[in-house]
Amino acid sequence: MKLTRRDFATGIAAGIAAPYLIKSANAQGATIKIGMCAPVTGPAAESGGYAIKGAKLALEAVNKAGGILGKQGELIVEDDQTTNPGIVLAFSKLASQPDIVGFLGSIRSTQVHAMAPDVIKLGKPVMIGGTDPNLTHMGNQWLFRCRPNDSYSGRVIAEYGVSTLAKKKWAVLHSTDAFGTAGGKALTEALTKLGAPPVLDQGYANQSQDFTPVVLAIKQSGADILGSYFTFENDLGIFARQLRQLGVNIPWVGSPSIVNITALKLAGPALYNTYGVADYAEDSSEGSKAFGKIYRDAVKVAPDNQSSWTFDAINVLSAAINKAGSTDSGKIREAILATKKFAGAEGEYNFDQNGDGLHGYNIVKNEKGNITFDKHIEFND
Amino acid sequence: MDLALQLLFTGIGIGAVYALVALGFVLIFRATNVVNFAQGEFSMVAAYLMVVAVEAGLPYWAAFIVALLGMALLGVVFNLGVYYPLRHRTYLPVIIATIGASILLANSVLAIYGPQPQVLEGWFETPGIQVGPVYLDSQYLLIIGVTICLVVFNFWFFEKTLLGKKLQATSQDKEMASLLGISVSTMIMITFIYSAVLGGLAGILVAPVLFVSIQMGSTIALKAFAATIIGGFGDVAGAIIGGLALGVIETFGAAYISVPYKDGFAFLVLIAFLIFRPQGIFGERVAEKA
Repeated sequence: MKLTRRDFATGIAAGIAAPYLIKSANAQGATIKIGMCAPVTGPAAESGGYAIKGAKLALEAVNKAGGILGKQGELIVEDDQTTNPGIVLAFSKLASQPDIVGFLGSIRSTQVHAMAPDVIKLGKPVMIGGTDPNLTHMGNQWLFRCRPNDSYSGRVIAEYGVSTLAKKKWAVLHSTDAFGTAGGKALTEALTKLGAPPVLDQGYANQSQDFTPVVLAIKQSGADILGSYFTFENDLGIFARQLRQLGVNIPWVGSPSIVNITALKLAGPALYNTYGVADYAEDSSEGSKAFGKIYRDAVKVAPDNQSSWTFDAINVLSAAINKAGSTDSGKIREAILATKKFAGAEGEYNFDQNGDGLHGYNIVKNEKGNITFDKHIEFND
Repeated sequence: MDLALQLLFTGIGIGAVYALVALGFVLIFRATNVVNFAQGEFSMVAAYLMVVAVEAGLPYWAAFIVALLGMALLGVVFNLGVYYPLRHRTYLPVIIATIGASILLANSVLAIYGPQPQVLEGWFETPGIQVGPVYLDSQYLLIIGVTICLVVFNFWFFEKTLLGKKLQATSQDKEMASLLGISVSTMIMITFIYSAVLGGLAGILVAPVLFVSIQMGSTIALKAFAATIIGGFGDVAGAIIGGLALGVIETFGAAYISVPYKDGFAFLVLIAFLIFRPQGIFGERVAEKA
């Protein structure tokens, strides 16, 4: 057989093109891959486990219902170590896989801030649970929030405390990370608008071993109600116990971590009769009840927002890809932003142009360890 | 005044925890001339052992003994596995080995027990007592009491007993101790066992206050390490005073200056000591010692 010049040229062209064709074929592989950064290790490892379970349950249901674009969905999890460098590394590992079409980021705002520049560079949709309002207002068009942001939680805490509990002397306590600072600021602004500026605005550093100075400051301020934004359940547990031991029994309305399963276990009776704003409340809607049943049957523990937001994130993302009819990032983005009246575990999703899917919070009460739904407050802005 | 008294009690309580862990640092440093960066993980492992033993149905006192025996065993394994193979090398490989061991311990507990933080009930049913304007947390009272007992015990043990004197001799000059018929390797083994038990004791005592988590050891150890430098590395009394001082300073600093910078006060004091008195409160300059 004689090798002609044309055969040689064809062979060279095939050799050069082959890796790209193989890569492209992989991208259009047997499964649709979704990447997830989750704390498998570090202080939030327990809640990270719940988050992964929520995402897996959603993907199982999606796959049973026909999958994504006719293919089975596959979840690729990377450990973010509950740290900012950890999530940057985890996201870069996932981002290097071209066949991943969308991602789940973190529930912690500080971690989402850390990964945000890489998200812009990659240009693919990332579903997030961090509630710092700035995350969807800083020009990053690829972040989509599956929880209500803290501008809503601050307003709900303030509204409930001032109007329903009729308390006006507030102590505001918050962590000094991005989440706590934004939450504390939102609550202070909302209280000021209601004519009840806080008598104490107190920050604390995460992973504190002792809150005695904080409790004594609250006691001395003369506050008759406490509003809080805690990042880590360990801190919340230690603070709650010391608060009660040092004789401070004022009403307490906290951000969602106050009703987390881990916090309830650690603090026990110290959190009885407290109130929380909760993005997930089992009795708040039919979607919430349905998720609660699926989660309890599968995991054998009570569901909370750690698992509900990832459950919703997978469902919203999968539905958007199906609606887009393509894995093209731009088309998926448009489909997510067009998502309206989508019944999720956390409530009804109506995405705005900033990428915020939810616009209200539930108020719940801790009645001897049981979390009972009080009411839902929705905003139109 | 009421506020200051409450802060003083809490500061001494948390400082006593630092002091207990710092004691472990000092004892190993005196015996081997290296810093054991796994000392904090000894506290964490003991707390988990205690949780496992209580969950297994053992009475609290029995679980306590089992946990401390487990720590003694860990001290033996740590000595044989981490220090002994590197004993003739310079201090650097040994220090790096202890850092590696601390990561191994933390991840082993994570793999075996999972990431869930645990609640360990305290020794007393009453969480605390109110004495005038001051609330005395029963667990902190216990920690302070144990620390005082250990100060007395250490003084008696190291100054009045033959074994204590042998340990002191080994820490001061291994070659001379060996020439005098003291088994240096046995003395170092005993030191590791005692340090592991001390670290474990701190972990078990503080667990009802801080909860049991993978991170609890490293958080305490960092402050305890600072306490040993402030007190004077290698000095038992210095570790106690350094720990107590650190606890009180950070508590008062948080209350009267800034809560978010609470940890900053502790490390500001540490930096000040490193600049102006690097040998610590009770330490001697090396040149003077010679």
